[in-house]
Amino acid sequence: MSRIKHLYIHIPFCSSICAYCAFTKVYYNEELALKYLDSLEEEINKKYKGDTLDTIYIGGGTPSSLSINALKKLKNITDKLNKSKNIEFTFEVNPDVTIDKLNIIKDMGVNRLSIGLETINNKFYKSINRYNDENKFKELIKYSKTLFNNINVDLMYGFNNETLSDLKKDLDYVISLKVNHISIYALMIEEHTKLYIEKYKEESDDKLNKMYYFIDNYLNKNNYIHYETSNFALKGYESIHNNSYWKNEEYYGFGLSASAYINDTRYTNTRSLDNYFNKKYITQYEKLSKYDKMVYEMILGLRLKNGVSLKEFKDKYHKDLLDVFKIDDLINNGYLQIENDRIFIPIKYWFVENSILERFV
Amino acid sequence: MDKKNIRNFSIIAHIDHGKSTLADRIMEKCGEFDSRSNNQLLDSMDIERERGITIKLNTASMKYNYNGEEYLLNLIDTPGHVDFSYEVSRSLAASEGAILLVDGTQGVQAQTLANLFLALDNDLEIIPVINKIDLPSSDVEGTTEELLDLGLFNKEDIILTSAKTGEGVDKLLEAIIKKIPAPSGDSKAPLKSLIFDSKFDNYRGVVISARIFSGTLNVGDTIILDNSKKEFIVTELLVTTPNEENVKTLSAGEVGHIVASIKDISAVEVGDTITSKEHYTDERLPGYKPMKPMVYSGLYPIDNTKFDALRDFLMKLKLNDASLTFTPETSKALGYGFRCGFLGLLHMDIVKERIKREAGIDIITTAPSVIYKVNLTSGDVLNISSPSDMPDPGKIKSIEEPFIITNIFVPSEYIGPIMELCQGRRGEFKTIEYISKTRVNIHYIMPLSEIVYDFFDKLKSVTKGYASFDYEVIGYRESKLVKLDVMLNGEVVDALSIIVHKDFAYERGKKVCENLKEHIPRQLFEIPIQASIGSKVIARSTVKALRKDVLAKCYGGDITRKKKLLEKQKAGKKKMKKIGSVELPPDAFMSVLEDKGE
Repeated sequence: MSRIKHLYIHIPFCSSICAYCAFTKVYYNEELALKYLDSLEEEINKKYKGDTLDTIYIGGGTPSSLSINALKKLKNITDKLNKSKNIEFTFEVNPDVTIDKLNIIKDMGVNRLSIGLETINNKFYKSINRYNDENKFKELIKYSKTLFNNINVDLMYGFNNETLSDLKKDLDYVISLKVNHISIYALMIEEHTKLYIEKYKEESDDKLNKMYYFIDNYLNKNNYIHYETSNFALKGYESIHNNSYWKNEEYYGFGLSASAYINDTRYTNTRSLDNYFNKKYITQYEKLSKYDKMVYEMILGLRLKNGVSLKEFKDKYHKDLLDVFKIDDLINNGYLQIENDRIFIPIKYWFVENSILERFV
Repeated sequence: MDKKNIRNFSIIAHIDHGKSTLADRIMEKCGEFDSRSNNQLLDSMDIERERGITIKLNTASMKYNYNGEEYLLNLIDTPGHVDFSYEVSRSLAASEGAILLVDGTQGVQAQTLANLFLALDNDLEIIPVINKIDLPSSDVEGTTEELLDLGLFNKEDIILTSAKTGEGVDKLLEAIIKKIPAPSGDSKAPLKSLIFDSKFDNYRGVVISARIFSGTLNVGDTIILDNSKKEFIVTELLVTTPNEENVKTLSAGEVGHIVASIKDISAVEVGDTITSKEHYTDERLPGYKPMKPMVYSGLYPIDNTKFDALRDFLMKLKLNDASLTFTPETSKALGYGFRCGFLGLLHMDIVKERIKREAGIDIITTAPSVIYKVNLTSGDVLNISSPSDMPDPGKIKSIEEPFIITNIFVPSEYIGPIMELCQGRRGEFKTIEYISKTRVNIHYIMPLSEIVYDFFDKLKSVTKGYASFDYEVIGYRESKLVKLDVMLNGEVVDALSIIVHKDFAYERGKKVCENLKEHIPRQLFEIPIQASIGSKVIARSTVKALRKDVLAKCYGGDITRKKKLLEKQKAGKKKMKKIGSVELPPDAFMSVLEDKGE
């Protein structure tokens, strides 16, 4: 078994539940959180083989909802992980994170902070059950920058009645923060969310499409590279951890509902806290054949601006990509492009990429 | 059993008038019914139960004790819908009497009358029955009057029943025994037997349903099928009671099933006469007048490799559905398929449904068409059942199309909406007959092509379901017809062409473009839709390019989910037909005839 370079930890707790969120989450409760961290430690001890890690990502939920005490406990767990010299260690926080907490997160060895801002426009707070104060947030960024040189801000667009100038205002605000990375997602209504229950209507495809390409254009002009379907970064600041997913690399995944890709098998952990506490971690797994792996290579890799390298594909699978997949028509019609060694989806089809990706499954 | 104690009969009834329930009650009285099960025994095909109609023939033989004597009652089931009158004539020819079953809450219906006249043509003894008398909405008096108005019965002939409660069923059984004549025919004479149905059983081969008219057939005899002159040794004889039961002989007057290791489906023709080597005669039974298909449509497997499988299944269907016709045809757009002829739309629906369910083949059906007679300037006449076969307009002198006369039975308050509907479909008003104080029979002369698609649905919706409808083809008449072509992405799709009346062409063209726009999902590129006559474009619309199909948020945890999502999406598209670069859902092909506005 070769070295696994990436590791994800899921913290399912939140101090408030966002109306659009379909991830696995639980209201914060100190006792439960401490118990959870015990189980988490057990799971890691059982499965982690001591590999030296290039990336760690602690996501949620809201990892910053953990108390100081709980964060310290989490630090004890992550301290035992072997980290490479140039590790990218990301921690997700909400804008309400306190300075004390940020300091512990820093102590943990975190060097990349991901902040869920979503929008600064008070017209839309209510619909997503979040609140942000423009000036307080600026203070947070200012302080965070003293601790972390790599910061991501999450944004969201496609709220009901949102105009292009509303969107531009959010973009201008984030640009003014001079962060290195922006993740920006269309608000999509998924089952098991408050918005779904309230029958909140997604904006029209035409409108979301227009907004998507407005964002692309506007952030490009401001030196952010649109390197993945929903992600932008200044040169050199692409998320290594997220890229490992798109490059179909193996990774550990610990915690409630976390997924992992180890030894040619994709695992998904249970969504039930009870099961998790009882050490019944895994609910399903998919052992991948060589062909499955090639399929994943494509449907993940084609989310990237650079797409998939024909040469790397051949080195990895000993087959020519263009022999494995019959995609002449997609190439002839311009839905896929080949330049030098790389095959990729031109950006104008990114917002309809599933119609192209489905050809690979 | 002595022939004088055998009764062969059918039940003529409109859909939902309670035929299957009545059949169950009769079997129950005869002790043939397992009261623990609520299933209606005669309707065995899933589609029949779901739609509440009978399509295929079924027979049930049962014994009934009347005044200390045992009788064998053979019930030969008849379908109720107008499309299946061929099947009806088959069952009627095999019996001596028929129960005319009328729902007391609905009155006499159009199809019931059509089938009644068929029975009279076969010299059958008719027993009129008013059913559902237990329901408060039942109008026994009015229904009695309608029956008496037919001039065929006396009031005392009419039997009142409730198939639900069983009331009147004893009286009905008494009437069956007393009124319906025992079958005539000499069981010692040479064998003459009529094939009225057949089916294919994977283990036994072809199972023939037959009525013995004279002579006796024994297990071990060698039968001769008259049309093919082929010989087979009888391995099994069965009667349905309603479960299958083996017997040693079938003799004159009896009805049963013959198994003779027949593997060749085409050897057995419904309506053919069976005789035997042991009791040979070269005399033939009259057989049936086969019904001609009225509606034609192209059936194409979505997956072209299923062409052979589709042909095999159509042959199997044809085995007990002689009215179904099919010939191979090719379409530029759809590849290899069959032009199939059906008795009507319900018939077509049933065949489509059976192909899907029983053969598991996904198919595309093109818009139904009638047969047009095209008189060419050269003096030749062409019969055309597919719009794409229509010759160049320059070569056409005139086109004739089949016309029908309608029987629309309906409460009189719906006369207005029905006239409006018929006139919108090129109908020419003939007369209105009053069948009772509140019910009428409306006669319109209309082109058959105007009713082949959704006329019956529209009729039901404008009359809240109260109308019943039947028609008779009265012959061909000249009409000003043109071929309307449809172009997708600039290319003519032959499978979407339709024949329309010149005066309605623009309106239809507009509707075709609108309907297709609704049915064709957005794709990666914009799709222009145009309707044209000759080279002249008369209407257009556009399916805009797909604007969103993305899983925007996708973390590590979503990766397997993403693949599943893509697999599901792909499976959905497999049900579509790719024409050029455009993907069309199967229902798009029928949508060219849809009419939302009415």
